[in-house]
This record gives sequence, structure tokens and C-alpha cells, in this order.
Amino acid sequence: MCRPVGRSGLLGSIHAEPRALPVISAVGLSKSYGSTRAVDELSFEVRSGVVTGFLGPNGSGKSTTMRMVMGLDRPTAGSVTINGVGYHDLRWPLREVGALLEAKAVHPGRSAYAHLLSLAQTNAIPRSRVDDVLAMVGLEGVSRRKAGKFSLGMSQRLGIASALLGDPGVLLFDEPINGLDPEGILWVRNLLKSLAAEGRTVFVSSHLMSEMAQTATDLVVIGRGRLISDTSVENFIASNTESTVLVRTPETERLQGVLAAAGLRVAPGADGGLVVTGATAVQVGEAAHAASVMLHELSPQQASLEEVFMDMTSDMVDYHGLTPDAPVDGAPAGAPSGAGAEVGR
Amino acid sequence: MTAIAPTRVTSLPEPSGRRAGLRGELASEWTKLRTVRSTWICLAIIVVAGVGLSALVLSIEAGRWVHLAADERALFDPVRSSQTGLFLAEFVVGVLGALVVTSEYGTGAMRTTLASVPRRTSVLIAKLLVVGAVVLVVAEVTAFASFFVGQAVLLGQGGTSLPAGSTLIDQVHAANVPVYGIGHPGALRAVFFGGLYLVLLAFLACAIGFILRHTAGSISTYVGVLLVLPLIVSILPSSFANSFEKYLPSNLGLGMTAVTTRTTDFAGILLTPWVAAGVLAAYAAAASLLAGWLLVRRDA
Ligand SMILES: Nc1ncnc2c1ncn2[C@@H]1O[C@H](COP(=O)(O)OP(=O)(O)OP(=O)(O)O)[C@@H](O)[C@H]1O
Ligand SMILES: [Mg+2]
Repeated sequence: MCRPVGRSGLLGSIHAEPRALPVISAVGLSKSYGSTRAVDELSFEVRSGVVTGFLGPNGSGKSTTMRMVMGLDRPTAGSVTINGVGYHDLRWPLREVGALLEAKAVHPGRSAYAHLLSLAQTNAIPRSRVDDVLAMVGLEGVSRRKAGKFSLGMSQRLGIASALLGDPGVLLFDEPINGLDPEGILWVRNLLKSLAAEGRTVFVSSHLMSEMAQTATDLVVIGRGRLISDTSVENFIASNTESTVLVRTPETERLQGVLAAAGLRVAPGADGGLVVTGATAVQVGEAAHAASVMLHELSPQQASLEEVFMDMTSDMVDYHGLTPDAPVDGAPAGAPSGAGAEVGR
Repeated sequence: MTAIAPTRVTSLPEPSGRRAGLRGELASEWTKLRTVRSTWICLAIIVVAGVGLSALVLSIEAGRWVHLAADERALFDPVRSSQTGLFLAEFVVGVLGALVVTSEYGTGAMRTTLASVPRRTSVLIAKLLVVGAVVLVVAEVTAFASFFVGQAVLLGQGGTSLPAGSTLIDQVHAANVPVYGIGHPGALRAVFFGGLYLVLLAFLACAIGFILRHTAGSISTYVGVLLVLPLIVSILPSSFANSFEKYLPSNLGLGMTAVTTRTTDFAGILLTPWVAAGVLAAYAAAASLLAGWLLVRRDA
């Protein structure tokens, strides 16, 4: 193979503006715990300047991947680098990489201030910075209180403060919005975006596609430890949803025949409408006009990200809830399940 | 290919050292140790239990002196008896040493620590040094306080100092319970070794914490080594037990705090102070090496 630059590299870029070289780069990253293959030959790249969402259902290997990036878990195979070096070779790791891995990873009897101070001391970060980050996350009023008494939201904020402590260029957040109220979610969303806008690399995991749709520019999607997609949010939607068109007419049966004759895939939709798959509104409108069928509604439908995500990972989810009508096992990848069938409703 | 470096102005001053390592980690570990209340509770219990039990034991021994047989009188060591409280304090030292490590594993904070200082041996060494230094100070204070309070208790109950150059025969025939000064041959070493005994045990507990990573498991193991192991050895055939007994940590502590080689030679039960200290230090070193090896090898 003579193309050293990958899909999202400088060559063959699908974006108008040239993309920066990847900051985090995983190659063939794998991790097994006994017989559990938590991460399986995962290769992806994360660039600076944008928020990159890391998506996957529960147990798909997001946290494991992040621990390997942080040099905490040793990969069974493959490697991951930050700005070209392994985590263990970073000279002042907190000044280069900040991470929120677990919200409650603080001694319950220690104050937020003391916790952050102890971290600052490891990387020669001045004491004044502790007060700065406490103010940034809005914990300055409770900084001397025991962290064990913090709510989950406050703990998340403390975790974010510790990630920001070294003013690092690379930030990793593992499910940072867990336990936050709407105001907190909005705060994190804006924080992530502004960190990225400052030129930082922001890699944030979530199992909520809808959340990532509002925050991320790039997406790394995994299922059962394997890469499903490494692209931009825009591309992800475009290449994974077939556009559908909802059309309503008083002459439903006639239109169905007309559209089918025109080679379009058409199926009855909700409330007596018709759903046309793989066609644009223009095609449907022209076909109807040619046959002189009157239309009451003609609207293109866009699948929400959540639906796309559920569709893609429906056969990749390890832990299905016990819903009576859940597919028994291994629904074929292409077949839309419950949520997928209702695309664009 | 040239990387497009993100343009960012960092607000932080440049660090002075070469890389994150032992120096910063030492400061960090000290901050962590002093900012939880359990540390201060443990240290207070070490002093109070150590000195209190020693005073109590010597007060009882003083009262019994007139009733003691010659061989019991010959075995009486007012210095070692004054260190009895350390054998209660040692359990609190174990809790302290283990908690320094296992409380971080329990909360997940160990991951943050190891991410801050990726050279994991620095984390192990810093924890050992900080815990060791704190326990050294507190344990020596306890050991010397136990000694002076203990001898004061003996004096208060009619004890008398044996004149310099007195022999074992003089001690056996003494009318009053004998009192040793800190200048008595071997007394200073015995008291200092009393504190050192707790430091070495703190290392052991810390290492067990790194190896097992669970609070309850680590403390049980530590207590098992100090309390249960002697029980197991004691039910072994005596020829077998005799050769093992002196290597038990608790008996090494007895050997370390003995003043006279007379008592330490007694029936070969105890090792001499320096040998005992060396053996216990070897245990602590071996456990620490295993801990370091596992820490570097295992996932955090
Ligand atoms: N230390 C470990 N020992 C054994 N198995 C593990 C360990 N860590 C993770 N696993 C397993 O690896 C798989 C991936 O787990 P991981 O926590 O990385 O998933 P995740 O994507 O972060 O999930 P979630 O969304 O629930 O946080 C799971 O099957 C999990 O049980
Ligand atoms: Mg996770």
C-alpha cells in the first residue's frame, strides 16, 4: 500500500478545507480481557480544532479505548499515539492531555481543592491554576468541601476541572454529560465547542447520537469493539440514510402504482400517506405530475442521527433490554428494525 | 509532511524540571496524605495506643516483680516491655499503609494518578517514601515516649536503676523492679528499632495494597501475616516451628526491640536486633519489588 495518508488525511480529503494532521492516531488497536474482546483492530484518527464524538452502545469498548490512549491499559495488539508519541513518552502528561474518565474518581474525604492541588503538583502546575479551573467549572464556592458529598453533576464538573488543569491541547471526556441537568448539558456542550475552537483536540464519548449531533463535527462510531465509521457527522448521515419522501394524495392506490411503475420503492406510510425510499421529492413530484395525480403533501424526510445509529448498531448491541418484541438475535445489518422503519415520521 | 500545529496560547509557565517524576509525585502524595482525616486518626491512635498500652504493661509487670521466679526475672527487659504498645499500633500502621494505596484503587483515582505520572515506579516509590517518612516520625515519637513514660511508671512503682556494670545475677536478685536509662547499653538502639519496626511494616502494608488493590483484602492479609501466621506456625511440629518462629514478622519486632543479646539468644527464639531488622527489611523490599513489578505490568 503506497498511500500513507488515510481516508481522513490530507490526500483525498472530502472536505473543502485541508484537514490538520491527526493528533490522536490509533492503529490496529485491540484489547482482550480473557476471552472478552473489548476492542478489536480499531484504527481511527482524531484531529484538532473540532469536537470528535466517540459513539458506541454500552460495552462497545469506548472506555477501554480511552484507557489505552491514556496509557492505563496495555493494548493486546496495535498502538495509539498522541502527536506521534505514546502516552508514556509525554514529558508533562497533564500539560498535554487532560481526561475525564470517571466522575467519582476522587477520595470522598478529600476536598476538591486538595484533589486538584495534588494533581497540579505532579506536573509542576502552579497553585493559582487550581483556583482558576475551579472558577471555570463553577465550583469555587464549594472547593473546600469534601468531594464525597458532591452530587453527580458537581463530580462531573470536578472531573472536567482536573482535565483542564494543565491547560492541555488534547482533551478526552468519557461520557461527560452523564448525570447533568439540561443546564449542565448545555454548559458542557458549549465548553467542548469552545475548547475545540481554541484549536484543541476534543475527543468525547457518548452513547447518545443526538447529543453528538449537536456537539461534534467528526464521528468515530464503534460497535463490539470494531470500527463502524470514522467520518464527519454530515457524511455519516448522508452516507447512512436513504432519503425518503412522504407523499399524500387522495388517490393513494393510483399513485402507488404510478410510482412503482416509475421504478421507485414505495410503501404505505402512517396516516394513509406513502413513503418513497431512495428518491428525491423532485422525482416523486414529476412522476405524479406526469400521471396527473394531485398531491396534498410532498415532503422530504431526514432520518435523525439517533435512528441511523440505532440502525447501524442494532446487531452490535451486547445488552438488549428485555422488550417483548426485541429481535431475537442477529437481525440482518441492512434490515431496519423498529426505529428504522419509522424513519422520518 | 508538516503538521499543522494548533495555535494556542497557554497561560501556564514552563515547568522547570525535565519531566513529571518523583519530585512532583512526592509533593502530591504528601498533599493527598495530609488532606484526609483518616490519616490523622490513624496517627493519633498509633501514639495513644502505643504509649498507653506500654505504660499499662509496665505497671502490671512492676506489681508482679516480687512474685517472679528467677528465670522470669532474668528474661525481664524493661526496654522491650516499654515497646509493647507498638504491637498494638502495628495494626493501625497496616490500615494507614494499605489505605494510601487501596483508597485510590477503590475510587478509580489511581488511574488519575498514573495518568499524571506515567512512570509508575515513581508513584510506588513516592507513596512508600511519604508513608514511610510520616510513620517514621510518629512511630519514633511513640517509641521514645513509650520508653520514657514506661520507665517513669516503673520508677513510680518503686523501681530502681541497676548500677552500671551490673550483671544478670544482679537483676535476678534485685529487690525492686529494674529501670533502664536510655544510656543503658543497647537501649537507644532498641527504642529506635521500635519505631523502625513500624516503618518497615508500613512499607509491607503499602506493598500489599499495590498487590491486592482492595482495602478489605489488603488489611486482612496484613493482619493474617501478623496474627494468623504465628498461630499456624505454632501448631506445626515443634522442631519445625522452632526454626521458623523467629522469622515471623511479630517475632522479628521482638528481636529488634530487645536490649540484651541474653534475651535474644534465649532458646534461639529470637534473632539478634540487627539481623531481625535486616530480615524484616528484606520482607518489605521483596513485597515492594513484587508490587512494583505488578504495577508496571498490569492494567491500571
Ligand atoms: N477491566 C476489565 N476486565 C474485564 N473486562 C472488561 C474490563 N474493562 C472492560 N471490560 C469489558 O470490555 C467491554 C467493553 O467495555 P467498555 O467499558 O470499554 O465499554 P463502553 O463502550 O465504555 O461501555 P459504556 O457505554 O457502558 O460505558 C465490555 O464487555 C466490558 O465488560
Ligand atoms: Mg464506558
